[in-house]
Amino acid sequence: MNGSHPPAHAHHASGPVVWVAIIGVTCLLLLVFQKVLWLVVPFLLALILYYFLYPPVRVLIYRGMSRDAAASVVTLAFLVLLSLAVVSLMPRLTSQVRHWQDTVDRYVQGGTQLLDGSLRSLERHWPTLERAKLADTVAARLTQGAGNISDHIEPVALGIMAWTPSLLLAPFLAFFFLRDGRRFKRFLSAAVPNAFFERTLYLLHEIDRTARAYFQGLINLTILDTLTLAAGLWLLGIPGPLTLGVICAVLAWVPYVGSILGGLLVVLVAATDFPGDPSMAYWAIGLFGLVRLLDDFLYMPMTIGKSLELHPLVTVLMIFVGGAVAGVSGLMLVLPVLGVVMVVGETIGMIVTDPRLIARHRHARKLRREQVSSDL
Amino acid sequence: MVNLFHLKKTTPRLERLHTLSLFVNLTPAELRIVDGLLHERDYLQGEVIFDEGEEGQAIYIVASGEVLICRQEHAEATNSTSATPSPLHPRRRQGDSGRVAQLGPGTFFGELALLDNSPRSAQARAAKPCKLIVFFRDDFVSLLDTHARIASKISRELARHLGARMRTMAQAMGTSQDVV
Repeated sequence: MNGSHPPAHAHHASGPVVWVAIIGVTCLLLLVFQKVLWLVVPFLLALILYYFLYPPVRVLIYRGMSRDAAASVVTLAFLVLLSLAVVSLMPRLTSQVRHWQDTVDRYVQGGTQLLDGSLRSLERHWPTLERAKLADTVAARLTQGAGNISDHIEPVALGIMAWTPSLLLAPFLAFFFLRDGRRFKRFLSAAVPNAFFERTLYLLHEIDRTARAYFQGLINLTILDTLTLAAGLWLLGIPGPLTLGVICAVLAWVPYVGSILGGLLVVLVAATDFPGDPSMAYWAIGLFGLVRLLDDFLYMPMTIGKSLELHPLVTVLMIFVGGAVAGVSGLMLVLPVLGVVMVVGETIGMIVTDPRLIARHRHARKLRREQVSSDL
Repeated sequence: MVNLFHLKKTTPRLERLHTLSLFVNLTPAELRIVDGLLHERDYLQGEVIFDEGEEGQAIYIVASGEVLICRQEHAEATNSTSATPSPLHPRRRQGDSGRVAQLGPGTFFGELALLDNSPRSAQARAAKPCKLIVFFRDDFVSLLDTHARIASKISRELARHLGARMRTMAQAMGTSQDVV
């Protein structure tokens, strides 16, 4: 992380026009990204992988290895480790595939029973709810809406099959980011006129800093969430605490929707594995609520929030805007996209409104014209 | 793993970098890392490199050509007939009238930008067509985090340079006994 003071121009507040442009461009990008999700998702995964693998690459470069060799060695080592993990887990996974349908059915039934039990308990205390036959209505709607679980598994399996080739792009892209990232930065800055060079360098650095802080913050947040949830679930005695913790922490990458899905998963597991003890499900809900609070007020400001330096109100509003514009993908992408567009927008705003920089650029162009036509 | 770690290998470009005073103490492996952070820019004679009062983001090293360093108040003191700056053109063309120094290959300028983001104290302009090597402050700051040894070697050279300049200035003002 950068330890220097931010430059003076970073302190200037952007005007309303710049902010409208920033929000407009963010929405437009989200719409475009939604159309090319098959490319955006592997690209994002590749970025996460890049920031994850960058530290060992840097160590190897410092030890005297060339950047090309270091990127190749680290990517290859990652792929070997990943292959070993897949190969060692594959027999276990294939033996369990047959039971997955039964397992999912069992957990869904456990959740339905918990909901039914809770609603009937409410009906006993609130006669109005009993007269409205709330439990029966909800049970009927759930049965009608859910249908047979196998109807849902097939499209999910097909979706995974369709996405696999696209996801395989991620390590490939990450390798080229590691190998050629700096060249690309130099290539971009070489195309910038001398007058705007320093500001552009600053802009490129800020984009890199924002993206790095965001993705490293996301990795740290996932680790913190996993550890907290796993510890809580282990204390409650719920089986598979670490696996559940990892799944919920990764689901939480999608703001709001992911957290609700994660919470639902934990409650389903608690209700199914402890059918005679509904208090376990309530404890699980309590734990999940506590983790969300820790996440929102402690972990998030410590990791992602700090990286983007966004006002909390803007963050929440933009999450809603992202969801409205581009659905679940919008929810996931809105914060990193906004962070990058904000830096680009503010810096471009400063460059194009600086008359001195424009005058210097014109002067340099005039000098170049004179040079190339001096002997004509 | 044969030949993956080639600590001794050097190239003409690295050798050229090694001759620059800022990088004189760096090993080939260290120079290779620094080389990955440097940018090269070409300027025509008379082209402004940076302005006085502008926020500094980078240090410039003269690889070839010559650079003129001028200061506004110098120019005003020596040339009282110059035009009044307008809001759109706050700094008029200075030529040699506000000249502070003329720098040749191997020297560097704008070094305070590596330390903080204070405004540039003078204007830099290409006195002849020149090639400059640019070292961006944030790259230097990240070098402090990741390769403290390299950054400390560069900082030491920078401190030496600033110390020498302070002595020169003190001698010029006749107060050399105050600078030890």
